[in-house]
Amino acid sequence: MPLKRTLLALAIGLAVLPAHAANPRDPTTLELLARIAALEERLAAVEGHYETTQVAEVDQRLRVVERKQELQAEADAARATTATTLALDAGKGLSVKAPGGLEVKLRGLLQGDARFFANGSSQNDGFLLRRVEPTIEGSWGIASFRITPQLAGDSATINDAYIDLKFDPRASVRIGKAKAPFGLERLQSSASTAQVELGLPSELAPGRDIGVQLSGDVAGGALNYGIGVYNGAVDGRDGLTANPDGEFEYVGRLFWEPFKNSASNAGTLGIGVAASVGDTVGSGNNFLPRYRTPGQEQFFGYGSNIAADGERLRQTVQGYYYRGTFGVLGEWIESSQDVRVASGTGAGTRATLRNDAWQISGGWVLTGEDAGYRGVVKPSSPFAIGGDGWGALELAARYGRLEIDEGAFPLFANAASSAQAIRSWGLGLNWYLTQNFKLVTNYTQASFDGGAAAGADRADEKALFTRAQLSF
Amino acid sequence: MKTHHDTRTTLRNLLFGMALALPAFAGLANGKDKELLNVSYDPTREFYAEFNKAFAADWKAKTGETVAIRASHGGSGKQARSVIDGLEADVVTLALSADIDVLATNGKLLPANWQARLPHNSAPYTSTIVFLVRKGNPKGIKDWGDLAKPGIGVITPNPKTSGGARWNYLAAWAWASREYRDGDKVVGYLTRLFKNVPVLDTGARGSTTTFVERGIGDVLLAWENEALLTLNDASTRGKFEIVVPSISIKAEPPVAWVDKNVAKHGTRKQAEAYLRFLYSAKGQALAAKHFYRPAEPDKVPAALLAQFPEVSQVTIDGAFGGWKKAQAEHFGDGGFFDRIYKP
Repeated sequence: MPLKRTLLALAIGLAVLPAHAANPRDPTTLELLARIAALEERLAAVEGHYETTQVAEVDQRLRVVERKQELQAEADAARATTATTLALDAGKGLSVKAPGGLEVKLRGLLQGDARFFANGSSQNDGFLLRRVEPTIEGSWGIASFRITPQLAGDSATINDAYIDLKFDPRASVRIGKAKAPFGLERLQSSASTAQVELGLPSELAPGRDIGVQLSGDVAGGALNYGIGVYNGAVDGRDGLTANPDGEFEYVGRLFWEPFKNSASNAGTLGIGVAASVGDTVGSGNNFLPRYRTPGQEQFFGYGSNIAADGERLRQTVQGYYYRGTFGVLGEWIESSQDVRVASGTGAGTRATLRNDAWQISGGWVLTGEDAGYRGVVKPSSPFAIGGDGWGALELAARYGRLEIDEGAFPLFANAASSAQAIRSWGLGLNWYLTQNFKLVTNYTQASFDGGAAAGADRADEKALFTRAQLSF
Repeated sequence: MKTHHDTRTTLRNLLFGMALALPAFAGLANGKDKELLNVSYDPTREFYAEFNKAFAADWKAKTGETVAIRASHGGSGKQARSVIDGLEADVVTLALSADIDVLATNGKLLPANWQARLPHNSAPYTSTIVFLVRKGNPKGIKDWGDLAKPGIGVITPNPKTSGGARWNYLAAWAWASREYRDGDKVVGYLTRLFKNVPVLDTGARGSTTTFVERGIGDVLLAWENEALLTLNDASTRGKFEIVVPSISIKAEPPVAWVDKNVAKHGTRKQAEAYLRFLYSAKGQALAAKHFYRPAEPDKVPAALLAQFPEVSQVTIDGAFGGWKKAQAEHFGDGGFFDRIYKP
């Protein structure tokens, strides 16, 4: 503004002085007004140019600042792709990513149980660290790995230790110790099962085993297949660290989710079949199974003079259906084993014994979240002290049976200590406080055919299990 | 007791057969078509997009093999560092030989004599540096001296990261050397010039964005091909014009296959054929179409050559003693550029 006033005064002065010099007569008022108007017009042009220049300079400076911010953002984005990054996520655990596609993750699962049995059980009430499983996963190009030790027992063991070579979504090779592609509930994550312990069919399914597996998704991911060669594992148990008899076990599974690529709201349906076959030769727990109740008490075992001596064949039909808050899972497994009386009464007698089990279990998420094979993945309103959220609640129920081949008695198993059949039902309430923390309460009851002295039935098992689970 | 021996035998044989087929499955899954990664500098995007299709078709016709070509673009120096850091380029087509020399000396990814493996010092096309100014040239910019005047906004990328920027810098140095014939005056001139640079992009394409799209500055020091591309773009046509300075520099962007990576990928044959196709009549014509001066102009129709104006050009070898010397003296740590430009 001072500049404008100065310019105006100067302009008026310059305008008036030459008028005196050029014309000795006094100018008329009209002439002066006309001159002032002309000068104001010229002044406005000068000011306009000045302001335009200033605006252009400010505009350029603003553009430069904006461009530098843009370049900084680009540089930050580029750096993110080349720098090592550390990320902590409630669902995915701790992750370190390095340039070149190398990624290492740390995850964990901790399960602490309190278990109570009704009078008459041989099991003791008590607290149990059921699972303590830190997991290291990594990937680099087509290769990835997983190492999961089990630290809950008296000595540490390895649950999973394998390398995956992912050539294509349709073909991935897994080498090492991992779950064999067989039992539906066995293949479920330990953190996701609806009940504290697995159902009766899983007693007949192989656990983790060492071998090589080819698996993949075809038909747009709707059909999953897995085939593998393993050392061989007895029913319901993990394989040993070495092949005890030099025989291999072949396992294959097909699982179809027909609605996977459907846009309709038909829910998630999965149907599968699987089989395993292989010879096993030897006696003792490493070769012949022992079956457990849902309370983890043994109710069947072969006699100490019995040996596995030939083929072990398993087959299963399995499926699940989840829609909205409801879900149901069912599974039937048959396991047959060639056995021989190694010594004592009937020595040399051979037989093929076939045991089978089935179960159906269901769940209903009371708080409205979707039910699924992976459990309730994320509560809509996580529990928070002083907050409004209470997490997610799920009711779960299960019924199942397991029958031992009647031919097992009395030559291959003692009817006074091993039951010929077990029926079990259970009810559970799962409280997912957050995505990572779950509390579980189960009541299970099992009844038996046989298994006690003088042909009597073994006493019912009644057990109340509770669990606190942290997973990330 | 139940016997199912037949069923078991069948099932066992089936599973055994599937298990035996496992390695074959894995092998099939890995049996993909060949793929080449071309790591290039900033302004070659449009050229290689078209060239890659032409080569893939030519290779398919000659060999029956399908080859897919991926391209990565960025500031030339930055791209070279990425390759050293693990970006597995099968071929590099960078802005200057110093950036490929680094792959040989620091990365040990190809032999030191890589430049002798292909004709014309492995430079199948050349370019030069010109000025792109706003329509009507409102600041009256005619030659290099005008760039150092107060109030002129000069847009050029950072010579530390961009090959094009190093050519820009050396062209300005060549003019100043001829103009002042005094080292201090030359440095003084370049210092004033770089004081007029408001934004240092990392690559030539970024500088074009700064000047053309963001409207910053009065003059863009540009690859000739980048300037001609801007003039021929429908969205920017009529908004800019080219000023050819009294002297410029002959920019020779070289190409090479990266021996270590092609050996790892099994793509040595395809990579060499890809680069030799640049020297074919088709490759040379495509280069000219995208405003690069072909190294073998006799293979290109005269109409395509007519678009390139006469420019007096110095060469890197003649004016600066080669890239190795120029790189060390001007762009190495503590070199002239570090004295000239203080961020």
